[in-house]
Amino acid sequence: MNEKEKEDVEELKEVLSVVSKEVPNLIKSIIASVFSEEAGRDMGRAAAAFYKELKEAGLPEEIAVRMTENYVSVFTSLGDVMKKAVSGKESIKGAKISKEMGEEISKKVREKLAEKLSKEVSEEVSKEIEKELAKRSREDEEEEDEEDED
Amino acid sequence: MKIRSIISIILSISYILFNILILWATLGWNVRKARKAFEKQLIRNGMAKKDAQRISAQYSKLKNDVMNTLKRSMRGGI
Repeated sequence: MNEKEKEDVEELKEVLSVVSKEVPNLIKSIIASVFSEEAGRDMGRAAAAFYKELKEAGLPEEIAVRMTENYVSVFTSLGDVMKKAVSGKESIKGAKISKEMGEEISKKVREKLAEKLSKEVSEEVSKEIEKELAKRSREDEEEEDEEDED
Repeated sequence: MKIRSIISIILSISYILFNILILWATLGWNVRKARKAFEKQLIRNGMAKKDAQRISAQYSKLKNDVMNTLKRSMRGGI
């Protein structure tokens, strides 16, 4: 074992000795911030206050419960955030989905624009035709009047 | 010198794994306590016990999500 390898092993030993103390504490504190009696009580207090306000405002029981459920699900959506953060695959999948959605939206917009444009054009054409017809009928009437006078 | 360093590295890794194992083992108990405290607050403010239990079930769902994510990331790492 040469000097460089010895240094590497020493360095790894030091890093691991620090990591073995810090990482478990970090994980413990993260878990305790969500999954502990105190955290549960605090979240329960917030949800209960929300529910109470809804009830006092006169909302029916069922709706108040459902709204409280949605309110709590906002807090507990940490799992989804973690899923998105950890799995790169899903973000690629999400990007694919959003691309597909974008294409679909642009297709729909183009269709709508084409429809609107054709509608405007046809309206304009029909107006022109109506004008022309009105002009011709006026001319015909004038001719008939002239013939009557003769 | 070499043997001592290797033993120290093995001990550090064992310490990390042991702590993670303890955290995993106590997580279920912590979730249970958090759920109970959560339900208690809701029931105290007039919610039916059944509804409170239904809402607090999100805690278990969150725990499962977190565990699944950790498992998946560990499998990905391996």
